[in-house]
Amino acid sequence: MSGIVCAIRGGPASQPTIAQAVTLAQKTGLPLHFLYVVNLDFLSRVGSGRVHTISEEMHQMGEFILLTAQATATAQGVTAQGAVRHGNVGDEIIGLCRELDAAYVILGQPQVQGKANIFTKNLLKKFSERIERETGAKVFFAEGSGM
Amino acid sequence: MNRLLRLWLLAALLLGISLALVLPRTGAQAKGQALSPLVTGSVYDQQGQPVEGALVTLSAAHESDSIAQATTQPDGRYSLSLSETIPDTLIVHIKRAHFEDAHIELDAAAIQSLRTGQPIVLPDTTLLRHISPAFLVATLVFVAVLAIITTGKLHNTLAALVGATLVFAISYLGHPLREDLFVFDFDGALRYVDWNVIFLIMGMMIVIAVVERTGIFQWLAFMAYRVSGGRMWLLLPILMLVTGVASALLDNVTTMLLMTPITIQIALVLGTNPLALLMPEVMASNVVGVSTLIGTPTNILIGSYGDISFNDFLRNLTPGVLLAFLGLILYSEFAYRRELRAGGNPSPLLLEKLAERARITKPEHLKKAGVVGAAMLILFVFGEQVHLLPAVTALMGATALLVWIKPDIEEMIEAVDWTTLVFFIALFILVGAIQEVGLISFIADAIGQLVGGNLVLAMLAVTWLSAVLSTVVANIPFTAAMLPVIGYLTAIVPGAHSKVLFYCLSVGSAMGGNGSLIGSSPNIVTAGIAERAGYPISYVYFLKKGFPALVITISLATLWLLLRFLVLGGTGG
Repeated sequence: MSGIVCAIRGGPASQPTIAQAVTLAQKTGLPLHFLYVVNLDFLSRVGSGRVHTISEEMHQMGEFILLTAQATATAQGVTAQGAVRHGNVGDEIIGLCRELDAAYVILGQPQVQGKANIFTKNLLKKFSERIERETGAKVFFAEGSGM
Repeated sequence: MNRLLRLWLLAALLLGISLALVLPRTGAQAKGQALSPLVTGSVYDQQGQPVEGALVTLSAAHESDSIAQATTQPDGRYSLSLSETIPDTLIVHIKRAHFEDAHIELDAAAIQSLRTGQPIVLPDTTLLRHISPAFLVATLVFVAVLAIITTGKLHNTLAALVGATLVFAISYLGHPLREDLFVFDFDGALRYVDWNVIFLIMGMMIVIAVVERTGIFQWLAFMAYRVSGGRMWLLLPILMLVTGVASALLDNVTTMLLMTPITIQIALVLGTNPLALLMPEVMASNVVGVSTLIGTPTNILIGSYGDISFNDFLRNLTPGVLLAFLGLILYSEFAYRRELRAGGNPSPLLLEKLAERARITKPEHLKKAGVVGAAMLILFVFGEQVHLLPAVTALMGATALLVWIKPDIEEMIEAVDWTTLVFFIALFILVGAIQEVGLISFIADAIGQLVGGNLVLAMLAVTWLSAVLSTVVANIPFTAAMLPVIGYLTAIVPGAHSKVLFYCLSVGSAMGGNGSLIGSSPNIVTAGIAERAGYPISYVYFLKKGFPALVITISLATLWLLLRFLVLGGTGG
């Protein structure tokens, strides 16, 4: 098992998640990977067909958000990688954990508007169990944070 | 070769559609010249609108068999030709679904005239509405669709399609059981579809698809940053101006889809809260988009229904929009004063990355799109001299770009947002259904009685009611439903013939979008992207920042409309 996967969304709510991931990387000496998942569900509300263009823009924005997280890690002496994926957030987190054979996953608890998803409070525990079952990685939640 | 052939085929199709829209319909006109009628007349509803499709029969009194029959034309007229012996008494029966039957008995002088071969013209007939089960069906379906769209329970297009299908299903399957369940048939429904709107939106979608892939939005946003030198108080109005102008010339949803990610990146570079830039940007998009015919879907609907040209919008609305925009800038500077002071220390690493990305990716395409765009603007402005429809200009522009740039045709076909086009078609049918059964007439009557003959009151009522309602209901279906109401008010309120009430609807429905998160589609896409960057925009947050903006911008725009139409004596189109 090697590596820490930290799924982030960006913004102030992600800072505790990033901080916890950096601390864990310092303690374990394992490589740190930040993950940003592009998800375009919100387009269904407006019926826009511009999925291709907006997907590219969101990809670039994700890279930018990862750069800010990587810069935070670098400032604390930890070298971190960044990965932008497209699709279902849960599936992509599990996918990256498998690829990297991750030992740890750090998750936030974002306040997501709209319909329930894996980060809704009662579903988050189930999701962490799924990660542990499917990848063998141990899941930590960052307190007072968002993804 | 195959790709080139397909490209030419699409171009030919678009050109064909353009020509079909622009060529005069000589055949139809020729068919309209019927034989000399003996009995003619016109049928109107209570709002003075012509009633099309009413069955007019002529029979001898106390006998059920008709001796002549006709159907009223789109202008409400009918002509009955008599070939038999003229009886001593004659009664004209007028029958139309959703109206009370009407009967006119011809007097002795009229019958005498007919006997001598002289045609007679009957006085205009006004049909009275009645509430039927079909009225309830159409009303319930429309309200349900509006609620579903507003709450986002179903995709807009699916909701509208389900509604339209339900109306058809009840009309066709319910009709044999109860005659008064019939709303309209398929042909009747298609009469309500405004093809000018559909083709204008389609043409503009192709133009936008070419422009959006050139990197122009990202470059403009970065230039805004460069020009401002990272000073937030200056960056804010420049970004608002870029967004506003782009929204006035292109589609405002696309503008915000492209401006939001780059704006978030600029804010991250400056270490400030992106919402301080995003909120004013989306509000500018809602406000400045109103200045042109093609800036918002609601303006496209209003322009086509009210026969208001691109020029009319520029002349009658743009100065008011500029005034409102100025007010919005001042308000935004005030509302975000703390955030604007907080930023300003750019991260060199992020700045380098931003500069690297903010490039024009397809300069050749941009040049050609610029030339075609300029030509389209000229045609939009001067085309009305030769009765050139905006839809035709948009199709010509789209065709020219396809032929000149030769983009991947599959990508271009994908770029046309077919779901939106189907949404508009289904929406027209739904609005047609409530118009057909008389709901619109009842609303028009109620508003007419409320405002009396007072133009100022009518202007204020239309503007502010539209604005407030646009904060809680989806503004496209709302505007589509309001158009016949405004048409009626334009006909009955003294002084409203200048079409001022259509401009009031335009201002209210579009600027009203700033009042709440669900008030307009650009708000929803901006909030969606911002949330995915970790900066959620809640309903309450939007209301707190947006509602004061609504009050300020609509007050200034109303002031302009009053000045333009009541003091300067403007004419609307």
